[in-house]
Amino acid sequence: MDSLDNYKKAWDNQPEEKHKFSALEIYKLAHSKSASIVKWIFIIGILEFVILNSLSFFVDTKSSDILFKEMGLESTILYSTAAAYVILFYFLVLFYLNYKRISTTDSSTELMKKIINTRKTVRNYVLFNFSYLAFVVLVVTGAYININFNDLDTKKIIIMLLTVFALTLIILGVLWLFYQLLYGILLRKLKNNYKELAKLENLE
Amino acid sequence: MLLISNLITIKLQKDLEDKFLIDFEKNQNIAHKICRIYTTNREEHNDLFQEITIQVWKNYSKFRGDSKFSTWMYRVALNTAISLYRKSTRQPKTQDFNDVVYKIQTIDYDDTEEIQLKALYKAIHQLNDIDKALIFLYLEDKPYKEISETLGISNVNARVKMNRAKEKLKNILNP
Repeated sequence: MDSLDNYKKAWDNQPEEKHKFSALEIYKLAHSKSASIVKWIFIIGILEFVILNSLSFFVDTKSSDILFKEMGLESTILYSTAAAYVILFYFLVLFYLNYKRISTTDSSTELMKKIINTRKTVRNYVLFNFSYLAFVVLVVTGAYININFNDLDTKKIIIMLLTVFALTLIILGVLWLFYQLLYGILLRKLKNNYKELAKLENLE
Repeated sequence: MLLISNLITIKLQKDLEDKFLIDFEKNQNIAHKICRIYTTNREEHNDLFQEITIQVWKNYSKFRGDSKFSTWMYRVALNTAISLYRKSTRQPKTQDFNDVVYKIQTIDYDDTEEIQLKALYKAIHQLNDIDKALIFLYLEDKPYKEISETLGISNVNARVKMNRAKEKLKNILNP
C-alpha cells in the first residue's frame, strides 16, 4: 500500500468549507475589480508607453532643433521621428493583441507563455527606444566631430567619445537595473513556475 | 427593434449569470480547497477566492458545456492560483496557520484523520506551486489525461512529474 493512501483517505473525507459564500456574495465577488498580475502588466505597460512618449514634452526641443539644423541633420531627425511613430503603433497593436490573447481557460503552460510574451512586448519597445536614443547620440557626436574637426585635437576627440560612451552606458545600466527590479517584483513567481513546467518538456 | 434586441441581450446576460451563480455556488468547495493549498491565512484565502470568482465569471461565456463545469473550473481556478494571483505585501502572521488548517472539528470526523489532514496540508504548503497543483489533482482523483491537459504538458511528463511530487511529499510527511 502506498504510504500516501491514508492521507488521501483523510483528504477525501475532509468536511466541506465552513465559510461558504452565498449566491449573493458570489455575485458581488464576481463583479469586483480584479487585482491579478495580468491587470498590473497591462497598466504598467500602458504607463511605459505614455511616459516614453511624453518625455519630449519635458525636454526643450527648440535649442536641439537649431543644433540639428546647423549640423544638417534636420531631415534625418524628421524621418526617424516619423518612423518612430510607425514603430510605436506597431508595438501598441502587438501589446494589445498579446494582452487580449491571455486566457485563463488555456493550459497553465500556454497561459504563462502568453503573459510573459505580453510583458516582453513592452520590454522590447523600451529596449528599442533606448537603442534608438543611443543611435541618435552617436550620430550627433559624429556630426559634431565632423563639423569641428579642424578645431579639435585628437585628445579632445577621445575625451568626448569616452564621455558619450560612458554616459550611454550609465543610462542603459540604470535602465537595466530598473527592469530587473520591475520584472523581479512582477514576474519572478510566474517565470519560476513556467521554467518548472518547460524544463520538463525539454527532457523529451 | 433596438429596444427589443437590447431586452433580449439583457435577458440572455441575466440567464447566463443565474446559471453561473448556481454552478459556482455548488462547486465553490473546489475553489476553497485550492485557496487552502496556496494561501496560509484567512485574508489571503479570501483574496484568492475573490480572484478565482472573477476569473470564472469572466470566462464563463466561453464555457461550452462539452465538459463538466467542475472539470473546467479546476483549470481556471488552478491557473488563477498559479499564474494570476499575487500575494499582497501584507506579511502573513505565522499563528494564522492554525486558523487555516482549519478548525475542522465536526463530530463525525475521525480524530486520526483530522491529524493526518492537518499534516497533509502542512506538507503541501512546503511544495512549489507546480507540485502543489500536481498533488492537488492527484488527491482529487483526476486522470492523467486531464492533468496533462490542465497543465499543458505531455502525458508522460505528467506521470514523471507526479511521481517526483509524490516522493517530495512523502519525504516531508515521513522524514
